[in-house]
Amino acid sequence: MLFPTLAFAVFFLFVYLVSWSLDRENGRRKLFLLLASWFFYAQWDWRFVGLLIASAVLNWGVAALIVRSDQEKRRKLWVGLGVAANLVILGFFKYYGFFVEQVVDLLSQFGWERDLPLLQVVLPVGISFFTFQGVSYVVDVYRGKTAPAESLLDVMLLMSFFPHLVAGPIVRASDLLPQFARVPRLTREMATHGLLLIVWGLFKKTVIASELATRLVDPVFFDPSAYGAIDIAAAVYAYAVQIYCDFSAYSDMAIGIAALLGYSFPRNFDQPYRAASMQAFWRRWHISLSSWLRDYLYVPLGGGRKGLWSSCLNVMITMLLGGLWHGAAWTFVAWGALHGGAQVVERLGRALVKDRKVIPTWLGVLITFHVVCLGWILFRAETFDLAMQMLAGLGRFEGFSLVTPFVLVLIVGGLAMHWLPPRAVEGLVERLKTAPSPTLGVLIGAAILLVEAMRPEGVAPFIYFQF
Amino acid sequence: MSDPTDPIDPFPTQAHPPVSPFPPLDEPVAADPSSDWIGAADAHDLPTRENALVALGRFAFPPAPALDEEGEASRARRWTSQTLFVACAFLMIFNAESLQNWARQQPPGWGQSTVDKLATVWVDQLALLGANLPVDGLRDAWRDAQAVQFDGAAEDRS
Repeated sequence: MLFPTLAFAVFFLFVYLVSWSLDRENGRRKLFLLLASWFFYAQWDWRFVGLLIASAVLNWGVAALIVRSDQEKRRKLWVGLGVAANLVILGFFKYYGFFVEQVVDLLSQFGWERDLPLLQVVLPVGISFFTFQGVSYVVDVYRGKTAPAESLLDVMLLMSFFPHLVAGPIVRASDLLPQFARVPRLTREMATHGLLLIVWGLFKKTVIASELATRLVDPVFFDPSAYGAIDIAAAVYAYAVQIYCDFSAYSDMAIGIAALLGYSFPRNFDQPYRAASMQAFWRRWHISLSSWLRDYLYVPLGGGRKGLWSSCLNVMITMLLGGLWHGAAWTFVAWGALHGGAQVVERLGRALVKDRKVIPTWLGVLITFHVVCLGWILFRAETFDLAMQMLAGLGRFEGFSLVTPFVLVLIVGGLAMHWLPPRAVEGLVERLKTAPSPTLGVLIGAAILLVEAMRPEGVAPFIYFQF
Repeated sequence: MSDPTDPIDPFPTQAHPPVSPFPPLDEPVAADPSSDWIGAADAHDLPTRENALVALGRFAFPPAPALDEEGEASRARRWTSQTLFVACAFLMIFNAESLQNWARQQPPGWGQSTVDKLATVWVDQLALLGANLPVDGLRDAWRDAQAVQFDGAAEDRS
């Protein structure tokens, strides 16, 4: 059940009405939201609802054991076991096939052919997100950053809450558990913000991302050898816009849906292509993941505490694992290596010039954007061969066939939205929250109608569902 | 030099301060008290006699006390629900076709065929009123924009 579908709209309206009618009893309301979330998840594969429940029980149990242990050594043991169990779940479902293939390849290179047990493991949707959430809950309880959940119900809802379940943002326990403590209070500001984010997300996903994918990105990345430099360059820029509009649309809609149910999620994107450095890019792109990687990987590795070279090594490890988190393929590892390498170069460069500003901001933005685009080639290409064909095609100057004025307007529009005022939606909320409900209702309806008129038939799944 | 007090001199050439008729003060004078004038005051703000009917109305229907937190939240929920209802009604009228499309994509069955038939009647009746024209017009304009090509663009070779 995808967000931009009528089926989801009907589901959401039902959840909205019932959840607010249960506002006198928080426990029943949370139980209803949990059942609705499981129903939502079961639309993909009902068998994995069991995995979701098992994962929640595991993390709740480990957190309870950590809290009850009075010896530091034992607490460390429990947190270690909890993190390892989460990683085993993620590793089995996401990386088992990949690692077995690598082992088979390696053994065959030494002339040692072995038939290892290859399983067709189905990847549960959103497993990367909910296991990371589980890890953050267990570690935060260990660190004392968050109090353990009041009940198993809270942990289950934390991990299963349908707005963020399948593609984030990764909402941490410290953000959401306090909100579960009582029935949330809906304000006009939250509601208006939620509605605007949903409409804005619909537009970005169903109009910009879908059109760019079908008209330019998919055909070029499928067979780069059939296109010249103009088509390929346009496809790379188009993919940069597509992935931003696709993923940020999901986050916007998730934040908006949660807001209409009275819960507040953290912001996940902040005009990332405005970044003037790779470090700044990661402060603006998929913020919930980058901050997760910083707090639970980079900092435990030592962060920047042991000097420049150590921080460079830690960044590299963090970005490599961040790349692997996105998918079990070497192209994702290479993508992570590119981002890590670029950040290492930046750090060394800054140390060399002693933090003086040596290039103007606009040049920094331009360079950063093109490094990111280079990374998107690795990210989008199915194989290294196709990625190399894309790069080779950038030097093949000939005519173009897929670039049209329409596609160009979408690319330019998708990039131009990064130069809107940074809090444009919030500004609009301030104006609209005082409007009478019929006025706002007609405005929202008209905006959705406009999107409906522009969107192509059908809706492709969100890119980040595969992760 | 002429003497200004000289009555014979009709055109005095040098000005002299007039002699004060009051004796000089021995002690400094206290400053004026601060003004009680309110710059923003409006004569219409002055208390007037209340209309008897208004007073009676207030007595009969006393104003509700200010809303507490729960009251505010309840009002916001009602406002949000009304907004959603209006938006849904708007879309049911002007985008009725999507309901029909959705019904036709569902697995066949009694429910699906009932929804499909209801949606078909609904779409046809609204089409008679021209409710489909705005979205059809927008869609046509959008398709025209999509079809524009650059001069010299080659055929797609994929």
